[in-house]
Amino acid sequence: MSTNGDEEETGPSTDSADPQERVEARRLRIARRVEARKRQEMGVDPDAKKDVKEELSKSRKQIEESRQRLTKLKTDGTELVTNVEVAGDSRESQRRLEEEELRRQRTERLEAEAKASAEKFEDVTKKWDSARRYQIPQDLHELLMQQRAACDQMIDEKNKLVNDLQQELKTKDDQYVKDLKKQAEDVDLMIERMEEQIKNLTKSYREELTQIDKAFEAERGELLEGNRKKWNQTMQTRTEKEVEYLKLREKRVEEYEQQLQHLRVQDAEEYNMVKIKLETDVQILEQQLQQMRATYQLNQEKLEYNFQVLKKRDEENTITKSQQKRKITRLQDVLNNLKVKLAKQEKQYKEENQGLTDDYKRITEQYQELQKKFKHFQSTDSRKFREIWMMNEAEAKDLVHRVLEADRIIHEQQLGLPFYQPDLWFMENEGPIVPRQMQGAKLSAMEVVQKVMSDQGVGPGGAVIDEEEEIQEEGETMSMAGSQGSLASDKEQAEPQETTVMAKLTPGTIKQILELLCDESGFLVESKLNKLLAPLERDERSLMKLDAIFGALAIETEDDVHLLAQYFVKPKAAPVPQDAESAGPTPAPTERTDQPTSEAGEEGEEGSFIGSEEEELQFMMEEKESVKTTKSEVPELIHPNDIFKALRTFVNEHRQQQKKERRASSMKFVLGEERDDSQDEGYWRAMGGIIPEKKERLWSALLEGFDKYSRTLDERAKLITDTDALRQQNAELRMLLHQYVNSKVNGELEIPPTKVLQLEFSENQQQTA
Amino acid sequence: MAEPPLAQNGSKSGPGSVKSGKSKGGSARSKSKGKDGVPSPVTTAKDNPSADPRTMRRIIAEDPEWSLATVPLLTDLCIVHIVNNFEHNPLLDELKPKHRAKVLEKISTNIPLKVTAHLISDEGYWQRCCKARWDICDVSHYGGSWKRMYFERNLEHIIEHFVPERTNMDVVTDVLPLSGEYIKRLNIKQLLPPIKEETKKDDDTSETGSELGDGPEVDHFEFGPVFEKLPHLEEFGVTYGVKDCGMNFEWNLFQFTTRDCLLISKAVKSCKTLQKFHLCRSKVDDDKVRVLISHLLDHPSLTELDLSHNMIGDSGARAAGKLINRSRVVKMNLCDNKIGAPGALAIGHAVSKNTTLKCLDLRLNRLGDDGGQAICKALLKNSTLTDLNIGSNNMTEPTASILSQVLTTNTTIRTINLSCNRVGPDGGKQLQEGMEENSTVLEMDLRLTEAGQESEYCINQILKKNREDDRQLRLQNEKNKQSS
Repeated sequence: MSTNGDEEETGPSTDSADPQERVEARRLRIARRVEARKRQEMGVDPDAKKDVKEELSKSRKQIEESRQRLTKLKTDGTELVTNVEVAGDSRESQRRLEEEELRRQRTERLEAEAKASAEKFEDVTKKWDSARRYQIPQDLHELLMQQRAACDQMIDEKNKLVNDLQQELKTKDDQYVKDLKKQAEDVDLMIERMEEQIKNLTKSYREELTQIDKAFEAERGELLEGNRKKWNQTMQTRTEKEVEYLKLREKRVEEYEQQLQHLRVQDAEEYNMVKIKLETDVQILEQQLQQMRATYQLNQEKLEYNFQVLKKRDEENTITKSQQKRKITRLQDVLNNLKVKLAKQEKQYKEENQGLTDDYKRITEQYQELQKKFKHFQSTDSRKFREIWMMNEAEAKDLVHRVLEADRIIHEQQLGLPFYQPDLWFMENEGPIVPRQMQGAKLSAMEVVQKVMSDQGVGPGGAVIDEEEEIQEEGETMSMAGSQGSLASDKEQAEPQETTVMAKLTPGTIKQILELLCDESGFLVESKLNKLLAPLERDERSLMKLDAIFGALAIETEDDVHLLAQYFVKPKAAPVPQDAESAGPTPAPTERTDQPTSEAGEEGEEGSFIGSEEEELQFMMEEKESVKTTKSEVPELIHPNDIFKALRTFVNEHRQQQKKERRASSMKFVLGEERDDSQDEGYWRAMGGIIPEKKERLWSALLEGFDKYSRTLDERAKLITDTDALRQQNAELRMLLHQYVNSKVNGELEIPPTKVLQLEFSENQQQTA
Repeated sequence: MAEPPLAQNGSKSGPGSVKSGKSKGGSARSKSKGKDGVPSPVTTAKDNPSADPRTMRRIIAEDPEWSLATVPLLTDLCIVHIVNNFEHNPLLDELKPKHRAKVLEKISTNIPLKVTAHLISDEGYWQRCCKARWDICDVSHYGGSWKRMYFERNLEHIIEHFVPERTNMDVVTDVLPLSGEYIKRLNIKQLLPPIKEETKKDDDTSETGSELGDGPEVDHFEFGPVFEKLPHLEEFGVTYGVKDCGMNFEWNLFQFTTRDCLLISKAVKSCKTLQKFHLCRSKVDDDKVRVLISHLLDHPSLTELDLSHNMIGDSGARAAGKLINRSRVVKMNLCDNKIGAPGALAIGHAVSKNTTLKCLDLRLNRLGDDGGQAICKALLKNSTLTDLNIGSNNMTEPTASILSQVLTTNTTIRTINLSCNRVGPDGGKQLQEGMEENSTVLEMDLRLTEAGQESEYCINQILKKNREDDRQLRLQNEKNKQSS
């Protein structure tokens, strides 16, 4: 780090005046940064390393130095020692080289000598051969001498060589001895050096050790010194601080004392003031106390008096109390008696009650049984009634028919007059007569729905006719079934206006409403049903759904449907104008249609047809109108989201009504069916009076005439019979005759009787013709 | 020693002497009685001790030197007895540890090995034995085991002084079963030849000795049977020669006969535990080396072979080269032989293919430049050799130039010895260049190479640096090992 700083200091500075230098400085800086980054990337920070090295403690440094010195010493020493070895080696190698050379020379010499001697020997041996030629001893001697000389020479040479070699050997021996000595010296030297080395090494090791020790000690001392210094410093600072704190504390104590003094003075003053005040207060209070005492005395006297009075009263009270007590005891006795009695009576009454409830139960059972019986009998009665009625009616009708037939015969055959069929409205009737209003009642809700829903394809007229027929059938079944229909009708009669009004809400709207209902109130439908319905067509499905929904809402009749529909129409926006328009015209026709039909039935012969025709027309008209109205102003339906609310209100109101109805119905039920027999008389009378008096008279007159006529006819008849008898006789006779004629006897006879007969017969035929 | 004062303190001198004698005899009895017991034998004889409280008190009070040690402990006596009769009745394992230690301290070092060899394993005893027998004892050479040292040196001594056909073989066979278990190394420094030859030699002149020495075979000690008894032998060194012959020098004292060679080869081959084999200063020539090495091939455990100071020539070197690749030899020493260039070529070829050899010493041979080049070229391919000594081999500049190449490429070699080769200043420069690119060589001996002072200095600097780096590396490795 310090080196860096140095570099920065010594290097060119960016603040320099010389622009060149500044550029240089920047370059350097960049280079340095790059280098630093590189170093960081390398993961090795040489600066840090340097630091570490620098931070190495003295002891470490000493150790390092010692180590280096010692290694150097060691290497030097070993080198010194091994130098001997090396020198020996080199000498040896040198010697070997020389030896080799010498050996080579020697061998060469030997070889040369051998060659030479061989040659000489050859010469000598050759000469031996030539010696044989010498005959003269001198010559031979000379030769011999020569030979000898040569041999001597040769031997001399050899000896010389040998001597040389021996010389050499000797020198070698000397050399060897020298070498030995030298080696011994070397060894000595080596040993000496080794010893010296060891000595040196031990010495230096010891020295280094001491030095290292010293270094460590010095370091330790330094450390100690440093730490002590630090310690002292901190201690000093501490003492200083303590002194400071002491001073501060003293100051503060003084301050506090002053404050205390001040406070004491203040408190004393305050205390005095308070004391004076309190003393005055005490005086006032004493005065008040006196006053209070006076009043107290007064009160005491009063109270004493009161006490006397109360004592007397108390005495009186005790007397009365004892009296009362006695009374209470007496009354207690009475009470006890009464209680016993009450218990007894309660028991009695309970029993009685039990009995009565049993009775009641029995009676109600009986009643129910009775009712059942009653119902049964009622139904049987009504059936019987109906059967009897039917029987009588059939009988009457038969009679009427017969009468009418007779009349017609009389008229046509006897009088030769055209026969006019009298009014036979009653003939249409079958079963007991029911008032017309009843017939017009109640479609079942479902049927209405069905109708409305299937309205689409079917024309209005057809639908109406269907409806009419249905209505009639319905009416009959209803009247037969009894209770409910009639109940509903009763209710309806109470408010026919409304229902009709609502009924004419136009099937379209109703349909819409129903669809709405069908869509929105799925919760009323059972999920199972939904599943079952899934495969069906949409219309059918909605029908079934509606059925379920109605079941849930307890909607049974058309009226209910309409009533329901009422809840679905927006109460304010639509009804006002629609009432004005659609309610205005519609009630009139319906009234007309309703009443005429029933009246027409009673009125005349063609009434029913006409009525129905009229009805038809009116319906058509109405339909058109309603269509128009629906087209022009469709009654605004409530929002689907409000349906639930509407349903709730409907159910709430409708339920109450229904409850009432039910109660009423039960009442009615008890009373039984009171048939309206006002028209029966007319009916029967009409049946009876089918033949007017005029006609009767005519008939009696005719009877007389016919009597006479019959008498005459009787006579004639008698005559006819006579004639017949006669004729028979004739025939018989003729037969006999014929028999006789045809018999064989005849043939035998001269004049066969057959011829006679044939004659007679032909005469007879002529007579008859 | 407490007796005389006791006697003086006693009231009467006469009884005192009696008492002392008595106390000697019945030491064991009186000891147990303690204070009362000491005077009692005397007083009971004469009068009641309680009758004379004065005496009694005085004796007790004024007997400062009274001691239980007057009589040695029975255990001590027993121990002494055991020690004295150890040779005949060795008791050691039955004793308690502390008694055993005492016995071991005291028994003589001259007790025959037959008794002690297997019985005593205590190092202290063997240390005493060693020190009694030899002056210089460096136990560190024997793995810190005094017992091993004793047995090894004992056997070495026996073998070294074994004279064939004269000394009884029983001397060896007696010792072998006793010491076989403890011997790991045998370093035989001399082998005596048979005596009868010696007598002959005495008659002959020293001049003809060399000629005659070759003639009659003088076979030496036979190692085969010895090796069979040494199951743990790991290191074996032998020199076929006589030490300290002085003026009695004869050539045939230093003879390594072919039979010797055959026998030692077979012995070494049969010894499967042997790791190091030294055969130095034994005049081993080419033929013998080949015989030896043919037996050493594929030896299962041999790692170190030292054939220095012999007469191995080129063909022997070829055999050595063969051995390098046919065994697990790690260290081979062939220094001071007669290996020339062809042998060096063979060795170089072997080294270039080898992956086991780490140290090769070819100092003081006749490699010459050709041989040196061959060895150095082998180093270019080899990556296991770490130590190489080719000093004193008559090499010159060309070898240095190749060696400089080796220095640049090879990263395993650590020490190179080039001393006494006339490399010359140019070679020195080349070596310097090579060293400048090297960071693994730690030592390079360039003494007497005439390499030039400057290069030598530079190379030394580099070597120093390398050594420092290596040291740091080793320290780090140690630290890592410790931390892990």
